[in-house]
Amino acid sequence: MKKPQIAADTRPWRDPDAVPFVRIRNVTKTFGDVYAVDDVSLDIYKGELFCLLGGSGSGKSTLLRMLAGFETITKGTIEIDGQDMAQVPSYQRPVNMMFQSYALFPHMTVEANIAYGLKREGLPKGEIAERVAELLKLVRLESFGRRKPHQLSGGQRQRVALARSLARRPKLLLLDEPLGALDKKLREDTQYELVKIQEQLGVTFIVVTHDQEEAMTLSTRIGVMNDGKIAQIGEPQEIYEFPNSRFVAGFVGSVNIFEGVVTEDEDDHIRIDASAEAGCDIYVSHGVDCAPEQILWYAIRPEKMVLSRERPEGDANIVHGLVQDVAYLGDMSVFRILLDSGKRIHVSQTNVSRYDPEGISWDEKVYISWEADAGAVLTS
Amino acid sequence: MRRGYLIPMIAVLGFAFLYAPIASLVVFSFNENRLVTVWSGFSTRWYAALFNDSQIVDAAFLSLQIAAVSASIATVLGTLAGVALARLGRFRGKTALTGMASAPLVMPDVITGLSLLLLFVSMEALIGWPAGRGFTTITIAHSTFCMAYVTVVIRARLSDMDNSLDEAAMDLGATPLRVFFDITLPIISPALVSGWLLAFTLSLDDLVISSFVSGPGASTLPMVIFSKIRLGVSPDVNALATIIIGIVAIGVIAATMIGMRRPQKT
Repeated sequence: MKKPQIAADTRPWRDPDAVPFVRIRNVTKTFGDVYAVDDVSLDIYKGELFCLLGGSGSGKSTLLRMLAGFETITKGTIEIDGQDMAQVPSYQRPVNMMFQSYALFPHMTVEANIAYGLKREGLPKGEIAERVAELLKLVRLESFGRRKPHQLSGGQRQRVALARSLARRPKLLLLDEPLGALDKKLREDTQYELVKIQEQLGVTFIVVTHDQEEAMTLSTRIGVMNDGKIAQIGEPQEIYEFPNSRFVAGFVGSVNIFEGVVTEDEDDHIRIDASAEAGCDIYVSHGVDCAPEQILWYAIRPEKMVLSRERPEGDANIVHGLVQDVAYLGDMSVFRILLDSGKRIHVSQTNVSRYDPEGISWDEKVYISWEADAGAVLTS
Repeated sequence: MRRGYLIPMIAVLGFAFLYAPIASLVVFSFNENRLVTVWSGFSTRWYAALFNDSQIVDAAFLSLQIAAVSASIATVLGTLAGVALARLGRFRGKTALTGMASAPLVMPDVITGLSLLLLFVSMEALIGWPAGRGFTTITIAHSTFCMAYVTVVIRARLSDMDNSLDEAAMDLGATPLRVFFDITLPIISPALVSGWLLAFTLSLDDLVISSFVSGPGASTLPMVIFSKIRLGVSPDVNALATIIIGIVAIGVIAATMIGMRRPQKT
């Protein structure tokens, strides 16, 4: 796997000597017989914006709630900034949380909501007022301080919740589906704002989300969770381009997966017989840790495939099928193709020209091909 | 869809069935005649007679005092029970507490009254308190059964309340006790008010349990009215009922107006 070389100080997880800020060690949480979180170990570094990505019931929220101190840990340890959190109640942790429902106090004004945490710290009145004004400015709600939460729109409430959770200048901010309740347009704007604020303040963020697009845009690293376990940890690009399992490949983005058997296993390439599902051989231009006759899966993203009416050169990585459906999405079109083998795949093409009368359309027979390094070989 | 006359007619009949007796009671409280059912002219003499009847006035004050004190006790205890049941998660004996907290709702008054009387009598014999029966015993009895109603009201409100509000306050550095006073109490305050009013009304209204646990010289208003009625309906009872209806109506209207000013959603 080739990775670009970037200085370790912006990517501390690549530095083996870096000291993690949050250290989650073999943490397990059971509710009765159910393992909500199952033996999770995770290191998160200072200044990171780490996304826990997973479907509902994957354990991501439970893990976040254990960090905040709302759930006890069944087994394992959580350390924040070198301090074991086992005996520390939620109201004494150097951690603040932004709730999915925002949990703004309905009987308090926006100012009082933001000031609540500062009052508990026992700061003098003048300093509280100063800090509240500063935070209102940060989230661009200067003129809304005297309103009650029910007089605000969804996006404004979200920003109040963010300001309130930042008020105590936590070392670690936990965000539970921070953008989940916003509509699409607002969500995109808010995403960038969130990242901007995070960089500006240098706070470590841990974000829980089920939205893979959100995770990709926001995070420095993503931890994909499934069934209470961490399926894969990596930078967004790593997760997308180099998934380690069929689950991760399918959960993040869309993907076509072909099952096949290894026929050639060399140091610099392998060849997979995928005749059953693809109707061709798959040639991979790098070595893979596998054995001949082993069954494995080849995952390839729709945008890495090329459509053509003529058969391209070569004896591998070429499949043939019928265009069943074309979905025009504006920036790109997604072709749903029924292969001769009976398998359905998706291929996407960027719409580089505004109108192409020669373009491939419904009910056409087409060849689909891809480069030898375009897909990922998966063994699980 | 064309609306017939049937539904409005049923509605009128229904309201008439509910409110005609009350309306006639109010009207006849201003009757000049000594006979309740014979109208002979407008007069407020029965109101004057009412305020000169020291037995009724004393009973009314006693009832109001008992209602106020027992409603307050019931609200405090009921709130604690409601919070424990709705917020503490699972604890040992929760099912038993749930059942026992709501048992007085379905317990016949006669049983409650009798068992409390037995308790008071044997406590007096054992430890000498409560000495005799009267204000104290009635108040204790009323607090006991009103508490069950308050518990139900508070618990219902708390189960509507977003759990994460408590967690958010805790997350911002508030100890559990602070969370209760800063967040939980203000948010459930409408339920506290309605719980208190409910308890107050129930206490004011109670005849059976009071009769069991009261002693000489401590007659509540319902007890006095009931004993008067047994000698024949006298018009001053109508006057008394009209005053009570007036107070209740004002209370209900005030509560509704306060309720309307509040935001609907939390």
